Amino acid sequence: MDALCRICCIPAELLVKVPGLRPVIRMCCTSVGQKVLMALTGLALCGFLVTHLSGNLLLFAGEEAFNAYAEKLHSMGALLKAAEVGLLATFLAHLGLAISTTAMSRRARSKQYAQNESKQEAFAIPNGGASNWMLLTGLGIGAFLVLHLVDLKFQVRPDLVYPSASQDGTNNAYAKVKLVLSSPVSFVAYGVALILLGIHLSHGVRSALQSLGVSHPKWNKLIEIGSMVFAWAIALGFICVLGWVVLNS
Amino acid sequence: MSGETINLTLRVWRQDGPDSQGGFENYQLNGVSTHMSFLEMLDVLNEQLIESGQESVAFDHDCREGICGTCSLMINGQAHGPDKATTTCQLHMRRFNDGDTVTIEPWRATAFPVLKDLVVDRGAFDRIISAGGYVSVNTGNAPDGNAIPIAGAKQEVAMDAAACIGCGACVAACKNASAMLFVSAKVSQLAILPQGQLERSERVISMVSQMDDEGFGSCTNTSECEAACPAEVSVTNIARLNREFLRASLCGRE
Ligand code: SF4
Ligand code: FES
Repeated sequence: MDALCRICCIPAELLVKVPGLRPVIRMCCTSVGQKVLMALTGLALCGFLVTHLSGNLLLFAGEEAFNAYAEKLHSMGALLKAAEVGLLATFLAHLGLAISTTAMSRRARSKQYAQNESKQEAFAIPNGGASNWMLLTGLGIGAFLVLHLVDLKFQVRPDLVYPSASQDGTNNAYAKVKLVLSSPVSFVAYGVALILLGIHLSHGVRSALQSLGVSHPKWNKLIEIGSMVFAWAIALGFICVLGWVVLNS
Repeated sequence: MSGETINLTLRVWRQDGPDSQGGFENYQLNGVSTHMSFLEMLDVLNEQLIESGQESVAFDHDCREGICGTCSLMINGQAHGPDKATTTCQLHMRRFNDGDTVTIEPWRATAFPVLKDLVVDRGAFDRIISAGGYVSVNTGNAPDGNAIPIAGAKQEVAMDAAACIGCGACVAACKNASAMLFVSAKVSQLAILPQGQLERSERVISMVSQMDDEGFGSCTNTSECEAACPAEVSVTNIARLNREFLRASLCGRE
């Protein structure tokens, strides 16, 4: 854990030398600053999820609409590449910060209690609610992401036969999605990952807002309910897509 | 509610000094009056230990009326015991049943090293306060009490934060041993009031950096601190600390 943490510090040590970046890096080296970054990267990834889900909902509109959308997206070329790189960087930053802050907290309690009970109301999720599952659900989602990229970005799943591009060079993205999702391995893995995503977001969104200082007694109930609705709307939205595709293949 | 007296098995953490190993010892304590406070029960245990030639259990206490923040203790896995908004000194033995086994541990945090048995060194909190939890009044007589008008509602919010007694239960209960609730209370009580404005930016930056240097964990917004806090300090203060920190980092002087 310590070694990992030191590796996570390398970018900070290099960046602090870049002119003008000193105050930013100094802020990001504190526990509070890291949580702020964690929140910002997390919310950015939520933004990506929204666009990704809206794209996927086009599957309901049928093969033509979905393929047209995929074609349009891929025709963006350099812009799309830049977005992908940005997304990857955001994801890695989020992961790195998670490791760094977790290491900080592990060190802060070197000796565990023999007995430890919560004083909070009972949680829907065992063992102290979603907030105690952030690292595990996050890593689960990360693992899923690798599979998802292998499946549909690089299209190199060894057990699947991908349809080849048609003569005019267009790809049938719709057929590929159907092909991947109808494999039982993907179905189970995607389903589990989406539930993990729902759990992760159900704490993550609200926690991100709190880390950014968004809290007011008058608005906190709305923030709490809104975050929960957002989290499960995203997760269930994807689950609907998954279910629908599987039922229709 | 249980009867007038109860018999208990106490599982108490004993540790000779900061560097010794430490471990649990079991003690049988009979005829504990349910009207006693938890600390009075420990007094009775200590009398029993001294009478039988054993060393008494060291534990922290002072006011015994819930205001000084000296008492601590993880009781059956809960900071200050099972009640909400209650310090260990105000916890009554009627909360326990005849025949119960009660596990008593010190606060566990790397930043709060055990000195002896149940006593931990909370000097880290003092150093955080020295880093910025004050206002400087460098000259002249004490100002007139009402010279600076402060809106009632603001006073209330500042007072709610100032209710923190510095006991450390928030750190003890937090799975990350994070001191954010304590620090946020100390930052908030001054950030809200006009007297705190002068040192507002430096304060939050130095207190947060001292907090990190002391080796407290990083906040995951789990809110266990709020549930454990005997003074009912709210996690809204943590959001305020985050805002103060952002404001100071972005707009304060380097
Ligand atoms: S915030 Fe509450 S739990 Fe933490 S030190 Fe202050 S009074 Fe104790
Ligand atoms: S002894 Fe003072 S608060 Fe408990």
